[in-house]
Amino acid sequence: MSSTPALNRRSLAWAAILLATLAVAPLWLPSYPLVTLTRILVFALLAVSLDVLVGYTGLPSLGHGAYFGAGAYAAGWVAIHMTQSATLTLLVASASGAAAAAIAGSVAVRAQGVFFLMLTLALGEMAHQLAESWQEVTGGSNGLYGIPAVHLGTIVLLSARAVYWWVLSTFVSGVAVLGCVAASPFGETLRGIRDNEGRMRALGYRVYHYKLAAFILSGAFAGMAGGLLATHQRLVTPADGGLGTSTLALFAVIIGGEASLSGACLGAALVVLIRDSLGASLGGRGPLVLGVVFVAVVYLLPSGLAGALRPAWRR
Amino acid sequence: MTIQRITRRGILGAIGASALAGLPGCRSGDKGSASEGSGARRVKIGLVIPQAGVYVPLGTDLKRGWDLFLERHGGKLGNHEVTTVVADEGDSPQSGVPAVQKVLQSDQVDVIVGVVNSAVALGSQDSIKEAKKLLLVANAGAGAITGAARSPYIWRTSFTNAQIASVMGQHLAKAAAGQRVYILAPDYAAGTEVLTGFRKAFEAGGGQIAGEAKPAFGKTQDYQPFLAPIRQSGAKAVFCFFSGAEAVAFVKQYHQFGLHAELPLYGSGFLTEGSVLAAQGEAALGIQTTLHYCAELDSPANREFVAAYRAKYDAVPTCFSVQAWDAANVLDRALAQATALDGDSLSKALASVGTIENSPRGPWSFDGQSPRQQVYLRKVEKRESGYVNAVVADLGAFSQPA
Amino acid sequence: MPDWVNLHFVSLLNGLAIGFLLFILAVGLSLVFGMMDVLNLAHGVLFLTGSYVAWFVAGPSPSWGGFLAALTVAALVGGAAGALLSLACDRLSRRTHLAQALLTLGVALIAAEVLSALFGNDVHSVNPPEALDRSVSVFGHAYPLYRLCLIAIGVVVAGAVHWIVERTLLGALVRASVSDRQMVSAVGFDDRRVKALVFGLGALLASVAGVLGAPIYGARPGLDVTVLILALVVVVIGGLGSVRGALLGALVIGQIETLGRALLANFASFLLFGALALVLILRPRGLLAPANGSRS
Repeated sequence: MSSTPALNRRSLAWAAILLATLAVAPLWLPSYPLVTLTRILVFALLAVSLDVLVGYTGLPSLGHGAYFGAGAYAAGWVAIHMTQSATLTLLVASASGAAAAAIAGSVAVRAQGVFFLMLTLALGEMAHQLAESWQEVTGGSNGLYGIPAVHLGTIVLLSARAVYWWVLSTFVSGVAVLGCVAASPFGETLRGIRDNEGRMRALGYRVYHYKLAAFILSGAFAGMAGGLLATHQRLVTPADGGLGTSTLALFAVIIGGEASLSGACLGAALVVLIRDSLGASLGGRGPLVLGVVFVAVVYLLPSGLAGALRPAWRR
Repeated sequence: MTIQRITRRGILGAIGASALAGLPGCRSGDKGSASEGSGARRVKIGLVIPQAGVYVPLGTDLKRGWDLFLERHGGKLGNHEVTTVVADEGDSPQSGVPAVQKVLQSDQVDVIVGVVNSAVALGSQDSIKEAKKLLLVANAGAGAITGAARSPYIWRTSFTNAQIASVMGQHLAKAAAGQRVYILAPDYAAGTEVLTGFRKAFEAGGGQIAGEAKPAFGKTQDYQPFLAPIRQSGAKAVFCFFSGAEAVAFVKQYHQFGLHAELPLYGSGFLTEGSVLAAQGEAALGIQTTLHYCAELDSPANREFVAAYRAKYDAVPTCFSVQAWDAANVLDRALAQATALDGDSLSKALASVGTIENSPRGPWSFDGQSPRQQVYLRKVEKRESGYVNAVVADLGAFSQPA
Repeated sequence: MPDWVNLHFVSLLNGLAIGFLLFILAVGLSLVFGMMDVLNLAHGVLFLTGSYVAWFVAGPSPSWGGFLAALTVAALVGGAAGALLSLACDRLSRRTHLAQALLTLGVALIAAEVLSALFGNDVHSVNPPEALDRSVSVFGHAYPLYRLCLIAIGVVVAGAVHWIVERTLLGALVRASVSDRQMVSAVGFDDRRVKALVFGLGALLASVAGVLGAPIYGARPGLDVTVLILALVVVVIGGLGSVRGALLGALVIGQIETLGRALLANFASFLLFGALALVLILRPRGLLAPANGSRS
């Protein structure tokens, strides 16, 4: 069963409504929920980038936080030392994520399945260790603090609203690009590799190169999400790119639905809400609920929430 | 006519009172001006302390010191009724900075007190400066907080890492003259500052460092790989800085691997402060430390404080308890003078607070927004009640080093 | 004794102690992975459970009785948890191995949270049993007696596991399953019970390792992740399904963690993960993995 993300009128209508709601949110949301929503959007972009790797190419990564962290540190460092231009820091962030993914991916995509999982875990931990040790650049275990607010032309992105709208527009563009890639022949090839790698190889596709390309693409957008993190939080710590973040992103993708970009967004929102908002009212037991939801989804909903919510005609 | 006026005033008063009752849910900036005409002045204080991770014992002591002061002053500071909102700092800036932001934005507090981890203090600066609220640091010892990165909104009632360490550095340069000293501290902001502060003072006094090591912070449980190079370095003494659970592990392993018998161990006071001393037991005997407080201090203010603390918590107070107590003490004086609750007014009030003579740690005053205070030399001894830090000497008054 | 060895004797000895502890922890993971291709990401949390059991049952300053009681309780809890986990994974056996690994990941998170809810968030220290809580002199160097005992226990456990795998029916089944799973079930053995038994034994050893490791590592949230990663490195380097491989891997990693850290400080972490990455690329099934033979 291949799930082609067909763009039809219905889903476009839903997307438009959702986008409109998100766009006007700052006008009536108080600042703390707005900050939470911003955080959700940043994380959703990370989850979507991971979905390209996990859902579309079939490569389960437990170390994706590393490229997120690479982008965040790069954006932060550039903002402190070089320029506070919003677009430039974002570009640097994406490039850093892509570069880190290129290095790691060249080695990682040689492995498969659970071995790939372990390898990405190991590479992620190496990146984390690097962030902790390289004090001069990353600030070590204190993190990179004092990141100045970036500006878009003459507008300084300091208020919660300005940051939110910047994050929202970047998120929408990122997801749109990835959506187009997923619907393109390149995306079809990736799904073919996921479903039956041997056959693709027999058909003449250079599987290693396609996998590596998917890895780098995924890393680039993870880096972009990292750049947004640096703009939003103005502090980057080693934990931001660590195993916790990687695990949470993987949870989001699995819960939301592997081969569905909208599922990844849904999963991301759910994960952040459970951990932060629900967790606070449960006395900090958010991760417990998250674990239970995750196990339930793994058992009962192999296609995640998106698969369960998807109407029959879309299968 | 008179009856109508009274009734109208009564109605206006009732509306005003109910509006005030509804205000706590909204913006808090008005609280200062809203106090005229309603009687009870309130202040909402966010207590940001670790409730998870290696620093939990410090967080517990901070809360105890804070609660004890409030209890003995009728829950009021400077005639303001206090509501305390507690937030969990965790043990890293990743959890700590969001905790500070949460009390600022979601709980809308007027003042923030607490913060154990220097990285959290440094990472929250921007939020504090933008919100223009007062942060009274009750522990974090990074020099930059009241030094290079100083802001009128951030004051401190604790110490700086370099302040405590440099006093030991000066002392050892004389006491251990001619002997080389090996230094260790965990690899994070506070640890690095301690080592730098010690080194500067020690080498200025003619001392020689035999070697330096920085185990990973919060992740090292087995210290043997760091103990092994100590013997090989030819050092005759060791100076270290560890806090909380790491202090327990390090001191015990220092003893288990036989270094305790050969190389005297010196440290910044946190090494043997509080519950860690009971956990270290015999392994801590003879360790000498410098700190700005000692529970054994023989002054009327301290005796009273220790008795009250013991009665309420059945435990011996630590420097952390005193730091939080003094934060409340100082806020009590500042709030009595302040005209409003925003950062600028409180900052001005704090600047004119003068010397705090009735503090358990001895008299101290603010010097550059951080305490100028007495630092004591202590040694771990065994008494009938158990192991205590006995006061060996009062080394004098010190401010934060430049 | 040669100069260099004398200089680093304590580190070398410590490396042995940590290595044997890692062996007890990791051998279960290795056998389960080799037999069923299930990557048990809950292995770290089993260790942590053992550590908390040690603190709770034996207390901060345990007597012999307390410590032995803790070992028993941990063994029972671990064994039961392992068997349950095996049955849970079995229901997903029709799906990919990834789904099973993810299941164990979810269970690990739930278990870690439950432990934190039960035992609190701060760090708990445990002392070794009183009789062992002192130092002895080994070739002129002071060394904690408890860690020497760990080495002894590790050797005994290694011997026992080797004997089980080489000389018993269960062991034969394990070796056969590692080589050719389908043939084993074709021959008629109840695959599920063997799996539950092996999983349970492996989990039992992991919890027991947690009790044994408590006097060194304490019990704290986050320890499960640290220990899981070490176990993964050991298993991958040593070889999946191979007891000898797990021993070799554990001893090597033990030395890297002690002598390596003493000599190279932070670089030791890179060495660790670099070794993992290298082996995963070149020989994914590990250095000493049985290709399709039946060496243990």
